Amino acid sequence: MNNEPYISLGRLTKSYQEGSVTRAVLRDLSLDMDEGEMIVLLGRSGSGKSTLLNLISGIDKPDTGKVLIGGTNLVSLNEKQRTLFRRNNIGFVFQSFNLISTLTVHENVLLPLKLKNNADREAFRKATRFLEEVGLGDRGDSYPDRLSGGERQRVAIARALANEPLLILADEPTGNLDYKTGQLILKMLHTLVRKNNRTIIIATHDRDICQIADRVFNLQDGVLNEVKNHTEITGE
Amino acid sequence: MKRSKTNLLWRSSIRFLLQHPWHFALSILGVALGVSMVVSIDLSNSSAQKAFSLSTQAVTGEATHQVTGAADGLDESVYRQLRMAEKPLKSAPVVEGYGRLSVVNRTFRILGVDPIAEAPFRSFASQKAGINLSDFISGETTGLVSHDVASELGLAVEDTLMVSVSGHTFPLRLIGLINPDNDQTRRALENLLVVDIGTAQKLLNMPGKLSRIDLILPENTNERAIKNITTLLPEGADLSRSDSRSQAVSQMINAFEFNLQALSMLALLVGMFLIYNTMTFSVVQRRPLIGRLRGIGVTKREILRVVVQEAILIGVIGTAIGILAGFFLAQVLLKLVTQSINDLYFVVSVQELSIGIYPLIKAAVLGMGATLLAAYWPAREASNAEVSTVLNRSSSESKIKGRIGTLALAGIVVGGLGGGLLLIPNGRIGMGYVSLLMIIIGFSLTIPLLVTGLTGLIRPVLSTINGLIGKMSAQGIVTELSRTSVAIASLVVAVAATVGVGVMVDSFRTTVVSWLEIQLQADVYVQVPRAVTRKADGELDPTVVLRLKQTDGVAGFHTVRSVDVHTNFGIDQLVAVDNEVSSHNTYQMKESEPGFWNRFRNEAIVMVSEVYAYRHHVDLGDSVFIRTDRGRAGFQVAGIFYDYASDLGTITISRNTYDAYFDDPAVSGLALYATDGADVDELVKRLRSRSEGLQEVLIQSNRGLREASIAIFDRTFTVTIVLRMLAMLVAFVGVLSALMAIQLERKREHAVMRANGMTPGQLWSYVITQSGAMGLIAGILSLPLGIIMAYILVYVINMRSFGWTLQLMVSPALLMQAVLLAFLAALLAGIYPSYKMAKASPADALRNN
Repeated sequence: MNNEPYISLGRLTKSYQEGSVTRAVLRDLSLDMDEGEMIVLLGRSGSGKSTLLNLISGIDKPDTGKVLIGGTNLVSLNEKQRTLFRRNNIGFVFQSFNLISTLTVHENVLLPLKLKNNADREAFRKATRFLEEVGLGDRGDSYPDRLSGGERQRVAIARALANEPLLILADEPTGNLDYKTGQLILKMLHTLVRKNNRTIIIATHDRDICQIADRVFNLQDGVLNEVKNHTEITGE
Repeated sequence: MKRSKTNLLWRSSIRFLLQHPWHFALSILGVALGVSMVVSIDLSNSSAQKAFSLSTQAVTGEATHQVTGAADGLDESVYRQLRMAEKPLKSAPVVEGYGRLSVVNRTFRILGVDPIAEAPFRSFASQKAGINLSDFISGETTGLVSHDVASELGLAVEDTLMVSVSGHTFPLRLIGLINPDNDQTRRALENLLVVDIGTAQKLLNMPGKLSRIDLILPENTNERAIKNITTLLPEGADLSRSDSRSQAVSQMINAFEFNLQALSMLALLVGMFLIYNTMTFSVVQRRPLIGRLRGIGVTKREILRVVVQEAILIGVIGTAIGILAGFFLAQVLLKLVTQSINDLYFVVSVQELSIGIYPLIKAAVLGMGATLLAAYWPAREASNAEVSTVLNRSSSESKIKGRIGTLALAGIVVGGLGGGLLLIPNGRIGMGYVSLLMIIIGFSLTIPLLVTGLTGLIRPVLSTINGLIGKMSAQGIVTELSRTSVAIASLVVAVAATVGVGVMVDSFRTTVVSWLEIQLQADVYVQVPRAVTRKADGELDPTVVLRLKQTDGVAGFHTVRSVDVHTNFGIDQLVAVDNEVSSHNTYQMKESEPGFWNRFRNEAIVMVSEVYAYRHHVDLGDSVFIRTDRGRAGFQVAGIFYDYASDLGTITISRNTYDAYFDDPAVSGLALYATDGADVDELVKRLRSRSEGLQEVLIQSNRGLREASIAIFDRTFTVTIVLRMLAMLVAFVGVLSALMAIQLERKREHAVMRANGMTPGQLWSYVITQSGAMGLIAGILSLPLGIIMAYILVYVINMRSFGWTLQLMVSPALLMQAVLLAFLAALLAGIYPSYKMAKASPADALRNN
């Protein structure tokens, strides 16, 4: 049996130069995750959550440490290889949805599949299925600017899932939504991730999300601490 | 599979362009305007060249060689001698010149031939073509034109035409029509009047003379055989290849055409700024979109490919429209180019545009090349952006701000290298333009730094005038530097081009005006109407000369004779003057040997114009060899004078010396001095009435001639001024698109301002103030660059093209005009966005982000 973790972050450090001052964002950060696990990453604005997600997705590189996803160390890859890795293995859900405004809803979901060189018919079928799963099967021909915030985030979820990635990264997925819509989106994300057995990291400062997570971590001063008791945080 | 993936990205890209139709259209317009200028100049130049070469081919026919005489032609006895030679040669006599047909205001080439000898030479002028020999050589004034010309002018056989040559008008009976056997001949015969030798001699006042004798020599004719023919020729006559003369004439306009091409390339350069501008905006606007695509795994290469594909699309559409527009523009320019060639060099009549494949290929390559070159940098920047920073809007701004010092330094280096190129001695015109281009690029690179500095200076002023809004407007220019500096740079280059060309034309005009004042010392000038305005090669009737000299109120006179002669440099204009005594007042000498004027009358010396000395690398003490009626004679160059009448240069000789070498008593022009206190206008009237009925001559007062000369000068620069205006139009479109893009792109920022309580009026004022400030900055920055460009045009390009010494004349009015132009263009460009912004609902702008 293979005991290697599905995702392993080993002693990551990252700092930024701000004028003459060097600001450490992540300090010696390590984390192991299993396949199908749902992890919530808490932290205040500017705590480094987005930086950590950028390192995990290969958008950025750490100063030191390793990022192992499904046995591939992203740190050893060059920019192009990391882009291709991201294309094939990572799905994103952003706070600001980041849909491609010049593509229809259906084409937005289709794009990662096409980039991954899925067969046309197969890609079309998958995109349609996931749009139906998020309840937008009838909005495929609309452009993103015609949708409400909640609907846009549902398209983003469909896009992230349709790609069948090793890992989904969600950066403040409810940050731009009202409470009720946010809850609906979380519920949908939770259901679909579990149903499709996807691994997900959700970065947020919305503590309500903790209830659906397998594990919760708090990022503070560049250090990651696991929160064992959710009620400490949510007050429930 | 890969294709469908690319299709999706491409579809996204196309939709982006269609969602921003203004940007898309303006990018296309930028390419189209630049390409249309290049195409139109190329087509008009090549059409003029083609018309010239067709008409030359038509009159040269199958001749391989020709025998020509000295200044005033060849005695017809030479033809008889050649015909009676031991081994008869295939030869045909030709008398050639120009005249105007009264039915149409067009100059025709008069070709006098012997139809019996013509068959091997020119099929259309031979008996085979159906010429009725008895009518043709009847001794009457008869002639033939082509069928097309007859239909165009509504003529029929037996009609009588009035032909004007050197002020004399002759009735000519049309005895037949030539049917060209192909399109080429048809076009070649568009301006040809074929007459008998005797008729041509009568029309052109060449009794007993021939212009040349055409020969067909077998291909294997050796040097010795040619020498044998030469021995049959009298002193002064020469045997040469037929194509050498047309080549020499055609080369005359090389510099003229090259400069026009360079001007059109300048428009393309401004067009490139426009493309760069719009492509940059297009990329900057899409930074978040590109970030998202990169985030989900689209590679840099794929982004680069899509942006380049867009550029190709813009390039293809723009080039196609540019080529089409170029055809229309060429129709206008063709008239101007032909007019300039006719004023300055030789007679060419172009009735239609000649569309060759080469100008089209060149336009396509340049249009696509310029688009890709201009789009490459924005495309590369788009693809190279780091995904983590691309989502951050201010990253590109902080990048350029960090780079302005480096950019300025690079600009100084590039500009310095450009300046250094000018120091290379004996550089070519092309090198001058390369240097000019490098200086323009160098200056453009310093613009972000200069804009930052100038904005700092105008901020307090705007703050005083328009309070916080004024201050914000100024600050906005710096915070959006990556976009504003490109817009300003394109306006600077375009306005500087208009300043440069304007100063050059002004300098030229001022120099010519002051030169004319010195040159024109007499009170009245008499000339023969001529085909080429700047060439005084007609002949005044001796009776007219005598009558005019003896007119009441004329105190003195001098004459001028102008002829084309064969020299060791080719065919040159020789001017004989008999006012040796007063010449030292009229000729401004650049340099001369000691005691020049004392020697000028009697010694075999000449003075050459500055242009002539420059073109042929002739210096004082060198000799010019001229074919005269006494054989080839050497004349020492003892003086070099300033002259702006001809860009081909002239050799000036005293009439006394001319008469010793040429059997040509003719006079081309007469200058008359009025008696003290005489009314010159009255004298002119008197002179006109005395010449009436003898010969049509142009009699002009000193002032009249000066005004006419300036009018011709202005006319020859019309094409330059048209090109300058077109370059300005390209610039205007450039600044319009850039400013509109900047303002439209800041929709959200404006919405935030509106949301925070800025009234529509205040927003309007904000946008207009900012556009105006950018225009003002561009106007100010265009002045130093414009003056540098003018300096290079006047002292380097003009010198290398023509060899004229000009006085640099920078008129403050022209500079003010340039600043005003930039300011107004920018203001105008700000109107639409400010109107749109002020009207837009801030809620919509905020929601749609």
